Amino acid sequence: MVNALGAGAEEVWPRLLAGDTSRLSLRADLVPDRTLLLGEVRSPLPKLPRNLARYDCRNNALALAALLQIEPAVAAARARFGSHRLGVVMGTSTSGVGDAEEAIRHQQRTGGLAPSFDYAQLEFGGIAHFIADFLAITGPAYTLSTACSSGARALASARSLLALGLCDAVIAGAADSLCRLTTNGFSALHAISQELTNPCSVNRRGLTLGEGAALFLVTSAPSGIQLLGVGESSEAHHMSAPDPSGAGAETAMRGALEDARLAPSDIAYLNLHGTGTAQNDSMECWAAARVLGGDVPMSSTKPMVGHTLGAAGAMEAGFCWLVLRASRDGLLKLPPHCWDSAQDPELPELLLVTKGQQARPSGRAVVMTNSFGFGGNNCTLVLGAATP
Amino acid sequence: MTPLVLRRWAAWAPGHETPESWAAWAATPVPLLGDGHPEAGFLPAMLRRRCTPLSRIVLTAAFACCPEPERSEVRTVFASRHGSINESIELLEAVVRSERISPAKFSHTVHNAQAGLFSIAAANRCASSSLSAAGDSFPCAWIEAETHVQREPDRAVLLVMADVPLADTFASLVDEPAVPYALALLVAATGEGSRVALSLQPGSGKNSQRRPWPDAFEFLRWILGEEPALELEVGARLWSWRRETA
Repeated sequence: MVNALGAGAEEVWPRLLAGDTSRLSLRADLVPDRTLLLGEVRSPLPKLPRNLARYDCRNNALALAALLQIEPAVAAARARFGSHRLGVVMGTSTSGVGDAEEAIRHQQRTGGLAPSFDYAQLEFGGIAHFIADFLAITGPAYTLSTACSSGARALASARSLLALGLCDAVIAGAADSLCRLTTNGFSALHAISQELTNPCSVNRRGLTLGEGAALFLVTSAPSGIQLLGVGESSEAHHMSAPDPSGAGAETAMRGALEDARLAPSDIAYLNLHGTGTAQNDSMECWAAARVLGGDVPMSSTKPMVGHTLGAAGAMEAGFCWLVLRASRDGLLKLPPHCWDSAQDPELPELLLVTKGQQARPSGRAVVMTNSFGFGGNNCTLVLGAATP
Repeated sequence: MTPLVLRRWAAWAPGHETPESWAAWAATPVPLLGDGHPEAGFLPAMLRRRCTPLSRIVLTAAFACCPEPERSEVRTVFASRHGSINESIELLEAVVRSERISPAKFSHTVHNAQAGLFSIAAANRCASSSLSAAGDSFPCAWIEAETHVQREPDRAVLLVMADVPLADTFASLVDEPAVPYALALLVAATGEGSRVALSLQPGSGKNSQRRPWPDAFEFLRWILGEEPALELEVGARLWSWRRETA
């Protein structure tokens, strides 16, 4: 993974546990007359190989940065199963729209297309085909784009492709990149906070945007961290606002538990969608309280990396993966909820994780992560530690 | 390989709005040309006003394929190579000129805009994916429909493949029939209809001979005809659909 906290699990994990919000940075060049605090990736990004230059955009460079971290495992899977038995399911909401801005600027200036621009950078399917072409994989390769639930959905489909026998291994995950379209769009929606996002606080003022990528190698091996459950719903409510009742979120969370054949009491930690908008906080927290009760530790990790939109579902599944991987002696170290600790009195009582807090699951360590997107598209994942 | 039963279909392209018109076209196909979009008068006026041409085309085919009460109970897969990119390009042009953009327009540029509108118009609260895969978008939509059937075998899946021609800004960068269209398929693990299985083999690196209509309509022609199999080669992938006899 790559995000504002760093590149790679070893760099990200200690900063995530420390509640490090210091790596967000200011940019004044995206939205006219506004300086934004953003979770920009500042790690150096790899260059795309020359023969794949048509895919060259920041979004795909972020995806490649994450892919290279797991490349040895991916190469081993390809050698074992054959390139035709590997699939790719990627999520993104921005694709290379940031680079398309440059292409449009070039066109407005010169009347012609920039020679370096290719439609493969802009179209949503480009990122999946880029990963497949980079790895010389000829199994199914496609992109799911359901706004902020895209990354979670990519993992759900990857698991199904394995269950269907269509693939023996799937590279699944998501990438999203900061660009003027999304920063101006969310700014027009009055959804962006001037200060650091402050989820669940009475002082919250909206979200902090970010960027990054998280990729997984998903196989049906019984060892390793398991994707145990997927819950999905649509809201039939509004294009850019969640159903205030939280019914859609509740359906997704209950569906994931049912799919995993687990009880609410089995969940040791919930990674909230936690965008820091009043509408999301309220509906999500009430839904979480109804499904899980008030005793499950939960946190939003968005104050550390920003809301990475289409990548968020995969990124936060990645954070859950890190939590499960670090499980020792029945204890789970949890990422803290970084905020001003002034809980909105309109929210139910919640156990928001404080720095250093650990969970002690009674049985197998199991955690949950929520992703809710524009258009009312919800996806909740349940992940479990490797069985001993 | 998991066969799916194709229970029903509906399609829209300029000049072809009825099953009879599509049957006649399938028998003696001509290039699909033209412009425009259906009125989608069945939508509430408030919702219809927000609909782009692509949204009207998608919802028209989806509603025709899937009547009530099933309409609110199916899982859905919406596939489109370009999706709302034309609207995104318009917003980008405004952003590049440092103009303010409309928040409502912005929220309709997500790739799942049509999925969101369908969910609202059909009061459908089931799982939904929106997908894109360049020249493989249609076969990958079929695969994604299989994943939904895998997750919930008792529920039908409404698959809609649709596109409108790419805006002039970038139109020269793609090689495809420039026609607005939608094909909606209602598929499920069981039921009445053709049993069809899709398989994937490595391709030769070339593309099938380009026909002057979208691949989805080559599939429709095949479904309405008698041939046992349909092959579609897109670069490194050779997709083949085969009818299974019960």
